[in-house]
Amino acid sequence: MDETVAEYIRRTVLKIPRDEIKMMLQKWGFLSEAQLQTLNFHQIKDSISQEVVQLCEENSADIKQAAALDIIYNHIYQNKRMWSVYEMKKSGEEVEYFDITDFKKRFKRRLQSTLKNVTITFKEYEDNAIWIRVAWGTPYKKPNQYKPSYVVYHSQTPYVFISASVLKSNLPLLCQALIGATNYHDIREMELRSHCLNSLKDIVFKRYSQNFQTHTAKPLQGEDVEPENADKRIVQENRSEKERIHRLNQEVFGTGPQPKLEFAQYKLETSFKSDPKMDVLHKKEPFRCLVKFSSPHLLESLKSLAPAGMADAPLSPLLTCIPHKARNYFKIKEKKGLYPESFVSP
Amino acid sequence: SSNGSGGPRRLSRALPFGRSHGRLGVSSSGRLIVPAPSSQEKADPQKTAFLLRKAWTLYSVTPLYRFRRGRLRDYARLLGAFIAAEKQKGLAVEVGVELDIKVALSSLADLRGSELDQDALLVQLSSRSQASSKNSEDKVVWSGWFCSVFGDDLSENVPEHFTCLPLFLTHGAESYTSLVGSWFQKTFDCCFRRLAISPLNLSWMVAMWAGCKLDRAASAVELVFSVPRLAQPLDISYAIHPEDAKALWDTVQKTPGEITQEEVDVFMDCLYAHFHRHFKIHLSAAKLVKVSTGIASAQCDGIVKILHSQYLPGVLMLLTELAISQIQ
Repeated sequence: MDETVAEYIRRTVLKIPRDEIKMMLQKWGFLSEAQLQTLNFHQIKDSISQEVVQLCEENSADIKQAAALDIIYNHIYQNKRMWSVYEMKKSGEEVEYFDITDFKKRFKRRLQSTLKNVTITFKEYEDNAIWIRVAWGTPYKKPNQYKPSYVVYHSQTPYVFISASVLKSNLPLLCQALIGATNYHDIREMELRSHCLNSLKDIVFKRYSQNFQTHTAKPLQGEDVEPENADKRIVQENRSEKERIHRLNQEVFGTGPQPKLEFAQYKLETSFKSDPKMDVLHKKEPFRCLVKFSSPHLLESLKSLAPAGMADAPLSPLLTCIPHKARNYFKIKEKKGLYPESFVSP
Repeated sequence: SSNGSGGPRRLSRALPFGRSHGRLGVSSSGRLIVPAPSSQEKADPQKTAFLLRKAWTLYSVTPLYRFRRGRLRDYARLLGAFIAAEKQKGLAVEVGVELDIKVALSSLADLRGSELDQDALLVQLSSRSQASSKNSEDKVVWSGWFCSVFGDDLSENVPEHFTCLPLFLTHGAESYTSLVGSWFQKTFDCCFRRLAISPLNLSWMVAMWAGCKLDRAASAVELVFSVPRLAQPLDISYAIHPEDAKALWDTVQKTPGEITQEEVDVFMDCLYAHFHRHFKIHLSAAKLVKVSTGIASAQCDGIVKILHSQYLPGVLMLLTELAISQIQ
């Protein structure tokens, strides 16, 4: 077995938390059940990985098998990576039959015709997702297995999720290979990025509960326990304001759980409008700003702002449009004429 | 008294431009005179270059009792012995490599503002790994310096035998800071406290620094807000193009070289209003935790970075004032 392969397998096993190693090796299926029995999973990880490498040596593992293990790891720990979303475009409306074998063949051929030194590995998963792992080399160097790119393609959709390696220069090659392997003629990067792959899928596949326009006049029943208050009028007013905020929030955010995004970024190129009384800056040129919102769960966080008294309800459409516009990067310019609904986001 | 809350803070300064009463962020009648960018003859940029582009952790320090400028070598020796002794006791600071710590104390005459200010005091801990050869250079592992820039409010009223250097800045491992702090506390009967910077003071800083003229392309004027008490915490970074931030400040500031609380409020309200127009969020209800400009950056937990030597005295003056407020 190649030394570099042995080292790569050793390091991959080391990444896995100790109590998950057995499960992952089983998923991998390269070592027999009998071989797995011989492993002592209670020793330190260093020793476990050494033993795994020994067994792989017995089975003469090559880079293909090692890469397969890496895909399994990254599929389970997909949220450690940052994913970008790409959309492919077709010229016609024909629905073609998708042939997975044909896809793989064409993808490999397309990529290898430009760059000989690549390692390409495929794995299919239940939800129609095809995972592709690409390790990149140069015309003179073997592929670097430690910085691969990952592509997740749902064949029934035009969407591709890419977690590129540090080498951004390989992205165009990847995109070309995808178009070549499918019947699309163009691919563009969407302004949508997150660590949570499933949430990105929820957004583009519209799998989250969307805002509905129906106005429910029905007040909330018994949700909040109102504190004892002598003046009933105050309690009533608070409650109806709370209900109003809750209702408006539901209208824009929907009732279900929000897709999980970590940030949203807005490049503002609107002008600064001030109260004329204040006698401050008032000019036509844009007041250039970059605003970035970050949170472990951004949409839930934004949803809680109005109830917390930190924001007006309804919240600005610039924020609430994130899921249905499927983007979290925006460039906002002033639209001529109307105010305040005057933002245009290209 | 703590920053931003009530209680009288008399801050009269003997400034090149004449007397004024400035209060950092208290009442609406508060006014601050900003020292002009330093001319070359005042501060030697070489000597102060080490201050720039490093993150300094801030402390306020009460006056030192019976500190003698002439005894710096002795102090260095004593501090070195103290550190060695503490390490013997098992309070090792570095895991692994055995480090031989050398202590150096020096005065920096360039870092002061008024006649009443004492020269700054620099403490540096260097290590020479025992494994390396005699010729290898010492590596500075920790720096700390005491200073006072226009700290007249404290210096004016200090009793005999006390030295006022209310601002202490450190860079390096916390464990070393602890050791050095303990020794100074024991030796000069002084008291260190981490300097917190309130949102009010941060807003003064960003207003002041946004208005400063920078000759080359400057970095954005950034304000970072935190909304911690939500189920899912939210951080908001609001970065403004430096030319546009300065243009706004220039229309707010009425008298060049002078800043009032009211002007800072108007500046901040403008930024809040612009934000609200787009996002319908009341940024004023969030907590301002960090400000950052081409001049300097400052965080609420008392960490600053100074990027421009030209404005060093101004920044240090502000920080000295905060330190004094915390002591009094």
